[in-house]
Amino acid sequence: MREKALPVLAVLGIIVVIWYAAAVWMNSTWVYDQAERAGTTVSFAEMVPQTMAQERPLLPPPHQVAAELWKGVAGQAVTSKRSLVYHGFVTFRGTMMGFALGIVFGVAMAVSIVRFRVMEMSVMPWAIISQTIPIVALAPMILTVANQLGIDSREVPKAIISAYLSFFPVLVSMVKGLRSPDAMQLDLLKTYNASEGETFWKLRLPASMPYFFASLKVAVAAALIGTIVGELPTGAIEGLGARMLIGSQFGEPLIMWAALFAAAILAGLLILVVGAVEQMARRRMGVPA
Amino acid sequence: MKKWLTGALFAAMAGTAQAEDVTLQLKWVTQAQFAGYYVAQAKGFYEEEGLNVTIKPGGPDIAPTQVIAGGGADVIVEWMPAALAAREKGLPLVNIAQPFASSGMMLTCLKETGITSPADFADKTLGVWFFGNEYPFLSWMSQLGLATDGSAGGVTVLKQGFNVDPLLQKQAACISTMTYNEYWQVIDAGIAPEDLVTFKYEDQGVATLEDGLYVLEDRLADPAFQETMVKFVRASMKGWKYAEANPDEAAMIVLENDETGAQTENHQKRMMGEVAKLTAGSNGALDVAAAERTVASLLSGGSDPVITKAPEGAWTSVITDAALQ
Amino acid sequence: MTWLGGAILFWMAAWAVNAAVARSAFGKGRAGRLFVPVLFGITVLVLWEGVVRGFGVQPVILPAPSLIGVKIAGSLEVLWADFMQTVVKGALSGFVMGVGAAFATAIAIDRVPFLQRGLLPIGNFVAALPIVGLAPILVMWFGFDWQSKAAVVVVMVFFPVLVNLVAGLQASERMQRDLMATWGASYWQTLLKLRLPAAMPFFFNGLKIASTLALIGAIVAEFFGSPIYGMGFRISTEVGRLGLDMVWATIAVAALAGSMLYGAITLIEKWVTFWHPSQRH
Repeated sequence: MREKALPVLAVLGIIVVIWYAAAVWMNSTWVYDQAERAGTTVSFAEMVPQTMAQERPLLPPPHQVAAELWKGVAGQAVTSKRSLVYHGFVTFRGTMMGFALGIVFGVAMAVSIVRFRVMEMSVMPWAIISQTIPIVALAPMILTVANQLGIDSREVPKAIISAYLSFFPVLVSMVKGLRSPDAMQLDLLKTYNASEGETFWKLRLPASMPYFFASLKVAVAAALIGTIVGELPTGAIEGLGARMLIGSQFGEPLIMWAALFAAAILAGLLILVVGAVEQMARRRMGVPA
Repeated sequence: MKKWLTGALFAAMAGTAQAEDVTLQLKWVTQAQFAGYYVAQAKGFYEEEGLNVTIKPGGPDIAPTQVIAGGGADVIVEWMPAALAAREKGLPLVNIAQPFASSGMMLTCLKETGITSPADFADKTLGVWFFGNEYPFLSWMSQLGLATDGSAGGVTVLKQGFNVDPLLQKQAACISTMTYNEYWQVIDAGIAPEDLVTFKYEDQGVATLEDGLYVLEDRLADPAFQETMVKFVRASMKGWKYAEANPDEAAMIVLENDETGAQTENHQKRMMGEVAKLTAGSNGALDVAAAERTVASLLSGGSDPVITKAPEGAWTSVITDAALQ
Repeated sequence: MTWLGGAILFWMAAWAVNAAVARSAFGKGRAGRLFVPVLFGITVLVLWEGVVRGFGVQPVILPAPSLIGVKIAGSLEVLWADFMQTVVKGALSGFVMGVGAAFATAIAIDRVPFLQRGLLPIGNFVAALPIVGLAPILVMWFGFDWQSKAAVVVVMVFFPVLVNLVAGLQASERMQRDLMATWGASYWQTLLKLRLPAAMPFFFNGLKIASTLALIGAIVAEFFGSPIYGMGFRISTEVGRLGLDMVWATIAVAALAGSMLYGAITLIEKWVTFWHPSQRH
């Protein structure tokens, strides 16, 4: 355990040190400017503490972010609209909906693409192109069309945007995975006189599982990104994405940073869970962890 | 027979005294800029009129014009330039009321850039909002004879985000601000008012009408909808007048409705005070002379005017006449 | 209703043609590979046109493809300037810098196990973060021109590429490495001849993900401040102006640019990883 933790802590330590140095450097401009406007001068020793506690720092030092994060998580009732737990949960819910939708869609498409040549030829290039369309541009339009169709919920457009981003890694990996058995293995099954269905269930699908689980981590991260991006155009009302935008809009960098770190923590939790599921699946399938 | 049926239907509906649903789309996030509507809702003014009003907050990516076109709202809060531009694009919006008498738009510059009058804008970088809010600025610049396409002797236009950072980081010499919002963000950031030079659109004679209530023209032909709007405008104006008289209470009502949890009491109370100055001169009825000034300003846009011809039927006094009796 | 019915008929006919082509010898050739997706794309457009006309959808909600086409033809100059600003200056330069930095970092931490043990968990973690949230901050730091957009792209593509490459560098089998050792291969020889080639499928996976992220990053960053050209600027401005035809024209350009980037990466991948089973059909 110590073996593992030590290098991580060392690297984290280095990052924090660099961060503090950068905070002093970046925030000093403002201190000097203010002194100039006031017609005074500040020495270096006077300047440093002033870079640590600004209300609108260019780069807030870690302890300021931590304090704001703590205030948002523990300083409020979890149901309060000022609570980061509340906004985090809204984002989490959206991510899960998009993630589930993305997996179902991605796997279904991969299977039909590997099975039907016409699907591969006609749909695959467009699936790729779909990812190159900046979803942020489509988001307001998804919202309008959903409105037109009488869907008034903020969740549905968000889940669509999130699924739009998360289905792709699943699709790509599954296609790759379903094709990963090499010619020798396929030939072997042919000599057993295996049907297409048997080849799929006994060879292709098991062979694709490592690819599938590897893609889940990417997909869940993409779903989170999609949700956060989707929270901007849907009125920026609730969720961590909304907090980031609101922080930017009201010139409150601390809100923005705290939301960013809350999103990071949420991402970390999601990946831990997905990683644990992956480990479990691998063990059950007899792959050494 | 048909007549009788509709009559019976109408009577049946009136008999149940069902509340009429109205959805209002705001132009921006929940803040004191829209206090009148939130007050009317919280104080039960809409309920007294038999209305069930849903207030939808806006945001950076929400164009109220598009929302109403998509059927997501019955009535929207919009600026007249954007509404007229949408009208030219084939979305027949009509102004039914104008709670804001004057414009709160300004250009705020750092004094250290040496700008003292609009003549000094040449070759400077100016921050502007887009998303339909750029029209007043563009028509002002073309009246000053300053090119906005980046050619020499003109101004460099920067699309500013949603905050005042471009000014604080000195990426722009001037940025767009509202008297009730962004200006105070600059002050809060620690820049003294003496270090700033501000140009109000009102003072420069290029003000356009902001925050009016707009509906779709074809729906206005329906007498039932007209009646609903009369009730809506009457209750909304009651809300606005209440907000003007009780700014602190109004600010707190706004805060309660803020789902983001990011608005502060201090900022909203101050915003309410500033907004009250803009709504003060209006009883809700549109000042036709001011509307015509807006149109003239938008038409005088040189080579690239915001609208190409004077609109017809872009406003009506039918609603306010009935509401303010 | 004729529009709608006609579009549906066209769709069914096109699907039948595609299914036939995919089975035929023509479908195996290069022309067939191009023909099928193009016909599918045309079908979608025809269906779109049919729905918009059939239901009388307003152009401020969803413009018909024909209208968008007219708009594209009429505003090539603007679209080109936006493309240069966002794709070439913002996304591409950021992509190259980000991938380069990730490559260098992966090689560096491959040599130093301590760094690898320290950086990898952190890199893995950061790769999963919604980096796009950094966009407003980076715009504040690097100004409103393309530099801030490139910065967002660098941060967005760096970690996915890094994580994939590091995982790829460990993909070679023990036996293969032992074999290299018995031949007396140095670290660099093993790296160049065995481990890097073995890592390439993973690396290209990372590149593909990064290429789609790059455009999103460059465009989102423009929402938080930009000069008055660029694709993100155009989209956010034209939505507000109800110029939906221009929005879709820009989306079409973005899709084209993204596909070209992805296509280029796929071509290089085919050339580099010809030995991998997934490349053999």
